[in-house]
Amino acid sequence: MYRYDEFDERFVRERVAQFRGQVERRVDGSLSEDEFKPLRLKNGLYLQLHAYMLRIAVPYGTLNSRQLRQLARIAETYDKGYGHFTTRQNLQFNWPKLKDVPDILDLLADVEMHCIQTSGNCIRNVTSDQFAGVAKDEVEDPRPTAELLRQWSSLHPEFVWLPRKFKIAVTGAEHDRAAIKVHDIGLKLKRNAAGDVGYEVIVGGGLGRTPMIGKVIREFLPKDELLAYLEAVMRVYNSDGRRDNKYKARVKILVHETGEDEFRALVEAEYAKLDGPTINAPADEVERIAAYFAPPAYDALPETSETLAKARADDAELDRFVAQNGFAHKVPGYIALTVALKEIGAVPGDMSAAQMRAFADIAERYSFDEFRVTHSQNLVLPHVKQDDVPAVYAALKAAGLASANAGLITDIIACPGLDYCALATAKSIPIAQSIAHAFADPARQRAIGPLPIKISGCINACGHHHVGAIGILGLEKGGRENYQITVGGDASEHAALGERLGPGIDAEDVPGAIEAIVDTYLAEKEGEESFIETVRRTGAEPFKAGFATFIESRAATASEAAE
Amino acid sequence: MTLITKTGAADDRFTRFDTLEDALATDEPVLIPLAFAPAYVEQRPGAEFGISVPGSAAIEDVAPHLETAALVAVEFPSFADGRGFSLARKIVREGFAGTLRASGPLIADQFLDALACGFTEVELPETMANRQPAQQWLSAKETMSDHYQSGYGTEPSILQKRLAARKGASV
Amino acid sequence: MAKDHRAGSKVRGDKLPAILMASHLLEGDTVFLTDGDWTRDPSAAKIAHDAETAEAMEVEGKAAAAANLVIDPYLVPVELTDAGLPVARHFRDAMRQKGPSVHKDMGKQAEFQPLG
Ligand code: HEM
Ligand code: SF4
Repeated sequence: MYRYDEFDERFVRERVAQFRGQVERRVDGSLSEDEFKPLRLKNGLYLQLHAYMLRIAVPYGTLNSRQLRQLARIAETYDKGYGHFTTRQNLQFNWPKLKDVPDILDLLADVEMHCIQTSGNCIRNVTSDQFAGVAKDEVEDPRPTAELLRQWSSLHPEFVWLPRKFKIAVTGAEHDRAAIKVHDIGLKLKRNAAGDVGYEVIVGGGLGRTPMIGKVIREFLPKDELLAYLEAVMRVYNSDGRRDNKYKARVKILVHETGEDEFRALVEAEYAKLDGPTINAPADEVERIAAYFAPPAYDALPETSETLAKARADDAELDRFVAQNGFAHKVPGYIALTVALKEIGAVPGDMSAAQMRAFADIAERYSFDEFRVTHSQNLVLPHVKQDDVPAVYAALKAAGLASANAGLITDIIACPGLDYCALATAKSIPIAQSIAHAFADPARQRAIGPLPIKISGCINACGHHHVGAIGILGLEKGGRENYQITVGGDASEHAALGERLGPGIDAEDVPGAIEAIVDTYLAEKEGEESFIETVRRTGAEPFKAGFATFIESRAATASEAAE
Repeated sequence: MTLITKTGAADDRFTRFDTLEDALATDEPVLIPLAFAPAYVEQRPGAEFGISVPGSAAIEDVAPHLETAALVAVEFPSFADGRGFSLARKIVREGFAGTLRASGPLIADQFLDALACGFTEVELPETMANRQPAQQWLSAKETMSDHYQSGYGTEPSILQKRLAARKGASV
Repeated sequence: MAKDHRAGSKVRGDKLPAILMASHLLEGDTVFLTDGDWTRDPSAAKIAHDAETAEAMEVEGKAAAAANLVIDPYLVPVELTDAGLPVARHFRDAMRQKGPSVHKDMGKQAEFQPLG
């Protein structure tokens, strides 16, 4: 993985000192709260309901054990002993004090980490495929691109005061695990007919209150032209994006209102005026970065491990874990393992300091000292020897990290919601917990199969509810929390937005409604169809009908109870 | 208004005028809205003048005046409105070599970026200058020694410096 | 920005009695106005029973914000328990008086006497 050189090191150290100065100037009144707020946000610091919240960048979701141990230390020294992994592969601490933040940033810099641009109206932390460098369907590893973009976007002199936040995701694989179609810019590494590697450039996707699927603005951008082309896109957005209404300020609205073709023409016109070679990264530099992502020193191993096969035959639990959480590795004898931070009843994405330390040991010993954060708020051990899986499983289990539910109905994404978030209109985490309890039986979860549920506590959609196979949106209605349910959302290469099933319901009815939706699926399912495949074939109608029946039965019970 | 340049607070040689008549009535360098520029140049050929343009202006409207104007003041309605930074880049790209001024309630923390985008000075309303005196601007300018983006500022970017270091090492 | 989400204003009908709530600038912790000072203890909050007191408290809050002590002070309509303690009428403000519902071991609920 990438390591800082002296330039990166100094850059991050100086950024910490800069922030320390900004805090001092806030406290002495040089900066008003209105001025300080965007500055603290650009350094990942929010003010939430109970405390500040610090969002730490995990560039393209890659971490090592030393970094995780440092995060554990920060959690214990400056927070309440835990951290929260987010849907954008970052980590949040929920209880830091403003006066401590500069010291926390220093500790992060010690392990080559920072909070630069994890919030605010600027280019945010670049995300990527959690199976980068592992997946068999990869044209090229997306991480060197993501690292180049991390550097290029950091404190960009022109693009730190954009109309609104700006999120970039990169994938190098056919199967899209980075949700590139719902990002402001999505980049897909591909080969053209001549066999050259370049990017498909997608602009204008996003969720929030006006969800949109991005448009392909460039079918093929030669790889070495990336930075100049992105400069053109960003300049058009910075100049023309709406600033009169923050709900219409994202680039998706600009693309939508300008029209896809006109927007493309604007970008190409700006691009034509640029002197590419003075902007693009020198080829040497691209190679230098890429070299950090060279494959680790894998052993030459047979395709499958007899040790693992035997252990699976002996231990049904281990067998289910590998079947559910294993991901095929491109190198023979290796496997990637998803570690779901989704124990039944746990807070999705939360990890205690003790778990961080235990996990750091596991990654160091068994996965070339590397792990990944996924946008489903889980972790991945990317390069585990199949022979080692039984030992890894035992260690995970001891740390309470062995839930065998990756991708199943209890592997729920939930935003912080009203338990923490100052913008929330309803709780989100307790809904995830109640659904997980209702479907706790492992056999039943497996019978239902893959079913991503995504929950947001307000219209901002941090929990990606629009692209959940089942999406849940918490709103406030008449002074109460109220939940709208959608089905059919998809964040993959088949990107689709969910369709609403009916009126909003009370929190205590949500698990029942999910049961009704699952029953409809099981009744409609043909062959081996997954939930989302069934919805794609049947449309939302049968689900609406099942949902309506559920609502009626609830109304009937309620009126009986009232009598 | 307070003027801040790379070396600290400076005197403003230009006087702002809201009407053409007033601008024509003085011999001092004037700062006038873009729309008056053609009439001003016609009646005062060769006189030193500056134009004031909103950050939202299209470069096509500004470009025709860049040869005659000695100063362009890009107006920022708020420090958080970054359009002026892109406009500055476009103005510099047109070959403008005069004084490029960022005018409005900017904060010291933006000084480095403003300079890197091609601005040469910042004109602050008094209320801001009182809270953030010139000294804060000068120290803000020193906070970061390097930037990653090639083509910004006068110094080579980090990417270019790395390359140069490696080339130097291999010779 | 947070203003449009501020839940206190959404409570229908009479906005009194009320308390004044804010965030502490340096700590980030939720704080409540008392007589001339701020407390972290939700049960020690000063209660405005009439419009004049509420207005005076708002003025005090604004002054504390201007003095870089607190952020975002606002009046919160409350109901009084039998013991006379102020419980926010809106669930969002009530969450701030307690702490996260998913972590009963954290926030106000872990440190102070419960309100109700
Ligand atoms: C707790 C404090 C948070 C606040 C105040 C916050 C605020 C927001 C806002 C205002 C939006 C809508 C932006 C727009 O559409 O223009 C948004 C979207 C989003 N946020 Fe958050 N958020 C918070 C936490 C999180 C967390 C914890 C995550 C990850 C779990 C997250 C990830 C996202 C994502 C992925 C989107 C939506 C997709 C998009 O950008 O189109 N946010 N957030
Ligand atoms: S979706 Fe709403 S409630 Fe959830 S974290 Fe985002 S802003 Fe907060």
